[in-house]
Amino acid sequence: MIEVHDVRKQFGAVQALGGVSFTARDGQITALLGPNGAGKTTLLRTLVGLLKRDHGSILVGGVDPEKDPMAVRRNIGFLTDQFGLYERLTTREYLNYFGELNGMERAALRLRIAEVAELLGMDDILERTTKGFSQGQRIKVALARTLLHRPRHLLLDEPSRGLDVMSTRALRTALAALREDGCCVIMATHVMQEVVHLCEDVIVIANGHTVAQGSPEELCRRTGIADLEDAFVSLVGTEEGIA
Amino acid sequence: MRSRFTIVFLKELREMLRERRMLGFLLIASLMYPLLIGFIMHQMIEKNTRTEREGIELTVIGGARAPTLMSQLRERSVTVTESAQMDEAAIGELLHSKKAVAVLRLSDAFVDNYQAMRPARLELWFDSSTESNTQRRDLEEILQAYSNNIASARLLAHGVSPAALSPIQVQRYDTGTNASRSAMVIGGIIGILFLPAFFLNMSAAVDCTAGERERRSLEVLMAQPATTWELVGGKWLAASVPSVFGVTLVLVLAHAILRWLPLEEIGLSWNMGWGELLLVCLVTVPLSLLSSALFVALAMNARTFKEAQTTASFVTIVPLIPGFAVSFLELKTAQWMYLVPMLSNQTLIKELAKTGDIGVLPFVLTFLCSLIPALLLVAFASWRMKSEKYVLAV
Repeated sequence: MIEVHDVRKQFGAVQALGGVSFTARDGQITALLGPNGAGKTTLLRTLVGLLKRDHGSILVGGVDPEKDPMAVRRNIGFLTDQFGLYERLTTREYLNYFGELNGMERAALRLRIAEVAELLGMDDILERTTKGFSQGQRIKVALARTLLHRPRHLLLDEPSRGLDVMSTRALRTALAALREDGCCVIMATHVMQEVVHLCEDVIVIANGHTVAQGSPEELCRRTGIADLEDAFVSLVGTEEGIA
Repeated sequence: MRSRFTIVFLKELREMLRERRMLGFLLIASLMYPLLIGFIMHQMIEKNTRTEREGIELTVIGGARAPTLMSQLRERSVTVTESAQMDEAAIGELLHSKKAVAVLRLSDAFVDNYQAMRPARLELWFDSSTESNTQRRDLEEILQAYSNNIASARLLAHGVSPAALSPIQVQRYDTGTNASRSAMVIGGIIGILFLPAFFLNMSAAVDCTAGERERRSLEVLMAQPATTWELVGGKWLAASVPSVFGVTLVLVLAHAILRWLPLEEIGLSWNMGWGELLLVCLVTVPLSLLSSALFVALAMNARTFKEAQTTASFVTIVPLIPGFAVSFLELKTAQWMYLVPMLSNQTLIKELAKTGDIGVLPFVLTFLCSLIPALLLVAFASWRMKSEKYVLAV
């Protein structure tokens, strides 16, 4: 469970987060919707303790990332907007590295890599160096890295970008499996269809504020608009959000 | 389970070893240096000992016209080779081939002029572009002495004291020995032995910091459950490996070469045993650690690989400055020199080569004067990586 209450963050004169509150529950996939520049990246970075908040409280699985960032990170799978691959290493070496950094034993790691590779359908690229990988292959490797240490919490920044239909399906299966396991998944995305298909809960942020939280149906009901995309635009509040 | 520090270290090392071509190039570049030193020193010894071994080679044309001069030349250890008449081109070729230092040609009119007490012409042919100028001067001195002797005899025959011709007498004393000249040379040569510590690790240090940042993988790494000290420390140690390895190799090779060369021929000494060399290698390890820490701390703040490389290459020059300043100002070895990284290593090996025994303190100081700033720099880099400003710029 991730609980965020009235988190604010200021960089110089710029108010990046002006009061974000939400609760992302275990066993649910929570969509994080917001126009570009709404503060999603800052929020995610604050959740893993890379940035310190100015105000408010954050609990990730009951732990404050500011007080014990290491404990929080051990329990988080973080997929950033950058994949962070090492071109000179093979996929397996890459996964070994991050697995070991997360305290996994070699033997357990070998089993887990096989598991994750099957889940994401990436057996064929395990022994290749990641140089020259396609966008889809890259994101698979990065996703595998996020899932590797069986984190209870997943922060995924646009995990489906650049994936073909087959890979998107594989991703959906993976996310559903995580939900079954009772993980708490927060997924930033711009694809409304995905939200409708996958997510139980939606957080809408704009301009560093939480504008709304609820299931897709609730959001539609609240705005009185049947289409989630239109409801989102109406919630974000006009042109400034669309721009 | 391995510590995260070790995990990062091993991963960076593995990545570095994948760049085989670059590593090979660096290795060859650093091995070139001791070999070059060996070659230059060998040439120097050759040159300095040639005169004593071989004497002065002189080719004479028409030597029979001045038998006294010939015997005087031979007395002064000049090897005189008689030759038939030669034209200008043939003489030039002979000198160019370095078979003779000079050619002495006596003209047909020599005997007539000599007997008539007119200045009898001798032609001395030489090639000033060769390195035999000292030998040529020796020859000219012999000729001058011969001339003076005859002048004195002629004056005596006329009842005039030859002393009247020498109102003053110059006696030359040259205190410059080969040894003192070469000591400067060897001092300069030794100074550069440690330079690989500053260029073998540069690309590795820049690649794992600025490079990682440019490739956008640093944020992911920083979000892992590892402290910035573990990340920076692992990268720092991995970057130091090629430097430590390279400098040790260069020192061992240079030592082997310098021991093998007959340095005493040019008044030099290399009084070091393998045990002492091992100690020098050991106290030089922190120098590599320092340079890696410096590059890591600098490069992690650069936005791109290129920017980092430019700054880092500039920094490579800095450690050479104290050494040059000391030899330029001709400062005597003093205790404070062991407190300046790089200069301390240079001074250490210079003193060891000279005297062989300098006690423990210089070793300890050399070791610590690099290690302490290295650790401080790594601490600074770790602190810097933790700062929000840095996270935002990643």
